Amino acid sequence: MKSQYFAGVDIGSTMTKVVIMDQTTLTPVIGPTGPEHRKLANRVMEEALAKAKLSFDEITYVVATGYGRINVPFADKQITEISCHARGVGHLLPDARTVIDIGGQDSKGIKLKAGRVVDFVMNDKCAAGTGRFLEVTAEGLGVSLEDMGRLSLEAKNRVEISNTCTVFAAQEVVARLSEGVALPDIIAGLHEAIATRIYGMVRRLKIEREVALTGGGAKNIGLVKALEAKLGFPALLPPEPLLTGAIGAALLGRDIVQEAAEKGETLVRSERRLTEASIFT
Amino acid sequence: MSAENSTGGLAIVDKYYQGYGSRARELKKQGKQIMGYLCAFTPVEIITAAGFVPFRIKGDVNEPITKADTEMETIVCPLVRSWFDMSLKGKYEFLDGLVISHACDSMARSKDIWKYTLGLPYFHFIDTSHAIDDSSLDFFVSILGTFRKSLGGFIGQEISDESLAQAIRVYNENRQRIWDLYELRKSDPPLLSGAEMTRVLVAAMGLPVQESIKLLEGVITEVKQRQPAVGAKLPRIMVVGAEVDDAAFIELIEDAGASVVTDDLCPGGREYRAFVKTEGDPVAAIAERYLRGIMCGRSYVEQKGTYPEYLEQRFGHIARAAKEYNVDGIVLYIYKYCDPFGFEVPAMKSYLEAQGIQVLYLEDEYSMSTVGRLRTRIQAFLEMLGTR
Repeated sequence: MKSQYFAGVDIGSTMTKVVIMDQTTLTPVIGPTGPEHRKLANRVMEEALAKAKLSFDEITYVVATGYGRINVPFADKQITEISCHARGVGHLLPDARTVIDIGGQDSKGIKLKAGRVVDFVMNDKCAAGTGRFLEVTAEGLGVSLEDMGRLSLEAKNRVEISNTCTVFAAQEVVARLSEGVALPDIIAGLHEAIATRIYGMVRRLKIEREVALTGGGAKNIGLVKALEAKLGFPALLPPEPLLTGAIGAALLGRDIVQEAAEKGETLVRSERRLTEASIFT
Repeated sequence: MSAENSTGGLAIVDKYYQGYGSRARELKKQGKQIMGYLCAFTPVEIITAAGFVPFRIKGDVNEPITKADTEMETIVCPLVRSWFDMSLKGKYEFLDGLVISHACDSMARSKDIWKYTLGLPYFHFIDTSHAIDDSSLDFFVSILGTFRKSLGGFIGQEISDESLAQAIRVYNENRQRIWDLYELRKSDPPLLSGAEMTRVLVAAMGLPVQESIKLLEGVITEVKQRQPAVGAKLPRIMVVGAEVDDAAFIELIEDAGASVVTDDLCPGGREYRAFVKTEGDPVAAIAERYLRGIMCGRSYVEQKGTYPEYLEQRFGHIARAAKEYNVDGIVLYIYKYCDPFGFEVPAMKSYLEAQGIQVLYLEDEYSMSTVGRLRTRIQAFLEMLGTR
């Protein structure tokens, strides 16, 4: 039997992630979403195809997810990132019952059972509790975002950041700096603030072990430690936290194709072409 | 669904939904007096018995709130601010007066702003009690007696028991027609969509009650002629929340691949559930129906029995409606700063979930610009229901 390939395209607010999977191998590509790239999901897809040495016609099914999922004209189906994260985590970390996903623009908590969503909460109204909070405050401190997590672990006397609003917190940070507070102490305070926010939201789901952390936030060691301190136990991390949504999307595509085959149905697929989105929404 | 372009009920619904208030404006030109009111807690029977056309103030989710914010603090819920904004922008220039009931703080605390800013010939505030026990009911009967006298004073003529009894009969008939239409949503798929139902309810609340009944009868006849749609079965959703006087949110749910088949909303399931008794003193009958018949988060239900029994008393009707309409999931739709419903959320959610009903809780700001943000959550909820 000819191999089947499934693609998952996850267009987040900050990063675009594409994976191509067959039964055994996985080819990932991660690129920035950016204002221009938002309609150019096809570029990242082309890159992934080149890496996997495949042509687009060899892909059996494409599922798009993430907040930019509607801007993927070549996808066969759009599925929300909630379902895709659950499927991806269920596959990568089968023991996980709760997912905390910290993205660039939103954060969410998902309860799952056998890779399926049982309940979820989501924050996308406010930058506090998302990656944006650290991005904005890092800029104010003149620290690169990548260094924030590591620096927070060097804190000796963590300060309390009392403003939950990102804009005010950025001002508060500048005020602390001028008072001569050590940089790591401020950065640790920021991580504590964002962790409190996220934990408070996810706790409404009644957190069950194990807990998996995903999204860009899971790559920040300071945030991982701060969240683990609140949970009271270590969290599980996938090998590449940015990819769980795209992997879940590809797997859900595979599920759809398999289910159709079992039922003896012919899949009605979109007339997909590898083009850029014509409408920018 | 073929009869869309006919001149039947739904075409008239669209005309009055799009041009909300146009009929009241016409009637005003013909010499009728129009009495504005907010919220389902205003006893429209008394207004109608006095010879007025009651007209429900409606907001607009597509119109940014601009004028209202200079007069009203933003702590007032966005729905009430939108109502006020529409009024300030001259959408309801035909009003002869305004009646505000003490439904919630956003209405009660803004009553003076309404009264003095709009400066209409008649204004009355009905102090509807929050408790619904026997002494509160006695109080409310007396409060409605005062309203009856006040309105009678304004028209220079007492409102008779006969005219009240007549109004009660007509409004009960109107309620019955609405339930007849809800009945057509029980089939799977339903014969009319949730968005259509909302447009019908909104169009009807801007009409004199006799015209509302006619409109509903036209819609029922038209919808009954429809052939049941074939194709994939969609999840059946119930929407629970405060007042939804715009179809945009219902459309958002249905566009994501679902049918909204019933609700506990105003206008809708909550507002029209209870009928007024036709025997005895008409004011007492009206008082009882408004105080105890509208199961709204603004009222305090007396704590009786165990906590689960108490929850059953407060939310049992929602679970029963969900069962009756074969609902797959409930969307709990709450406006920001809506205290009465906001406070209810944890208890209501846990009660419904304990009944085995999946609940999606959404908070919104009564604006189309924010409705889109809810799309991912609604889609994820539907995906979740689809895989159970």
